[in-house]
Amino acid sequence: MSFRFGLFGKSAELQLEKDASSRYLPVVISAMIFLAALALAGLFSIHTAVQDWSRAVSGNLTVEIAYEDGKSLDKKVAVATDFLKSFPGIDNVRPLESTEAARMLEPYLGRSDIIASLPLPRLIEVTIAENSSVDLLAAAEKLADAVPGAQLNTHRPWLDKMILLARSIQVLAGAIMVLVSIVTVIIVIFAARTGMVMHQEIIEVLHLIGAQDHYIARQFQDYYARLSFLGSLPGLILAIIVMQVLGFMAGQLEASLITAPTMILEGWVALAMLPPLVALLTTTTVRWIVLGSLKRMM
Amino acid sequence: MIRFENVGMRYGMGPEVLRDINLHLKPGSFHFLTGPTGAGKSSLLKLLALSHRPSRGLLSLFGQEVSTLGRKELPSFRRKIGVVFQEFRLLDHLSTLDNVALPLRIAGADEDQVRKHVAELLDWVGLGTQIDAKPPTLSGGEKQRVAIARAVINRPQLLIADEPTGSMDPDMGLRLMHLFQELNKIGTTVVIATHDIGLIRKFSNPVMYLKDSTLHLSQSDEYLDQYHRSSL
Repeated sequence: MSFRFGLFGKSAELQLEKDASSRYLPVVISAMIFLAALALAGLFSIHTAVQDWSRAVSGNLTVEIAYEDGKSLDKKVAVATDFLKSFPGIDNVRPLESTEAARMLEPYLGRSDIIASLPLPRLIEVTIAENSSVDLLAAAEKLADAVPGAQLNTHRPWLDKMILLARSIQVLAGAIMVLVSIVTVIIVIFAARTGMVMHQEIIEVLHLIGAQDHYIARQFQDYYARLSFLGSLPGLILAIIVMQVLGFMAGQLEASLITAPTMILEGWVALAMLPPLVALLTTTTVRWIVLGSLKRMM
Repeated sequence: MIRFENVGMRYGMGPEVLRDINLHLKPGSFHFLTGPTGAGKSSLLKLLALSHRPSRGLLSLFGQEVSTLGRKELPSFRRKIGVVFQEFRLLDHLSTLDNVALPLRIAGADEDQVRKHVAELLDWVGLGTQIDAKPPTLSGGEKQRVAIARAVINRPQLLIADEPTGSMDPDMGLRLMHLFQELNKIGTTVVIATHDIGLIRKFSNPVMYLKDSTLHLSQSDEYLDQYHRSSL
């Protein structure tokens, strides 16, 4: 019989594998990892999404020319376009045709031929040149002077609200991670303490024949780390499946204004780190509990 | 070697189970420990085995005061002590060989040496053919011999045995007592707790007896006289 024991070995003397108290630990750990993985995925996906939205919106402006009953807006659009093209720091100015604007509203308002008959403002898409600073306030004022009824929109207020929402979700996800970690530690403490009580007689014998505390603690920590590691795998796999399903459903929404959150490489690496991290957390917790309990023995 | 000075012991906040124990055991001595049930024999053995600390007084083992021992020093001290428990306390899921080998393996001994020494010792205690047997399949006497083999495998300086021959037939009991005597001859200090008056009579070693939680020391003849007088 081999007396070596490690992460994947058996606890030689204590036979912790026979404990009924720890039998359900992998199931609980699996559930905890499922929640933690979803929270972690949420953290990374939303972080990426916020960056994407910010990047997409920050270089773009929209000029809106208010509808005037009975008057053609084409002249105002042409004046505004010329004005904007002459403004320093502007890379591209593209007036949108009424039909194009109607198509953009189609997902929200219905058929575009009917939308085209509505009193819609005309829009001009403006792209700011890279690495240039445009005084947007001054540009907005000058544009309003040159073209009455023209208004420069920066999308910033909308983006700010989206970022606030995203950050709130991130804080919530972080709180879930902390909560999951605390609950995991508490469950592991309970299991380890029960194991200590159940094996007290053998522990006493081991002590009396000269076993160091860390020799006994290692059997506990290796066994519980193994349970946590193996228990975390199904939870993680299930969470990845759920994330893929949610990602697929988000992609089907056809919400062209914002892109669906996607996981970046760092997110996948963080997910892959969950099983070893939970094993490490378990090892540390069990070692702390077992050594503490052993110290109270002679 | 072993020195008790006004040692008292209690469990938790309970009454003292041992009071004012004064004792000096020289290296290489051989003593019986006896006394009526509940007199405190097991408690005294726990103190000797470093399983409990005294509630008061000074207890020195191998020249060092026990209360000054750090937690990390305790295992090396315990490896100098062999303990035979009355209820054997073998690990049921381990084979005879693995049970006996445990102290050596915990001490980090070489595996080839472990197997060789354990096999030799098991032969000596008459269990050479039971190397792979698990304790639940052994008789009481066989379990006791495994427990004794486990206690002596490390060549301890102090051997403590609680009723070591209680579960054996007289012949095997005598054989094991001779093993204890041999260990004693090579310098091991031996303390054997027993109720067996025949054993005390046969081996004529000094007797420590506990009465009303206090310890008394006498030669075996003196103790036997006293025992017979009180029996009459």
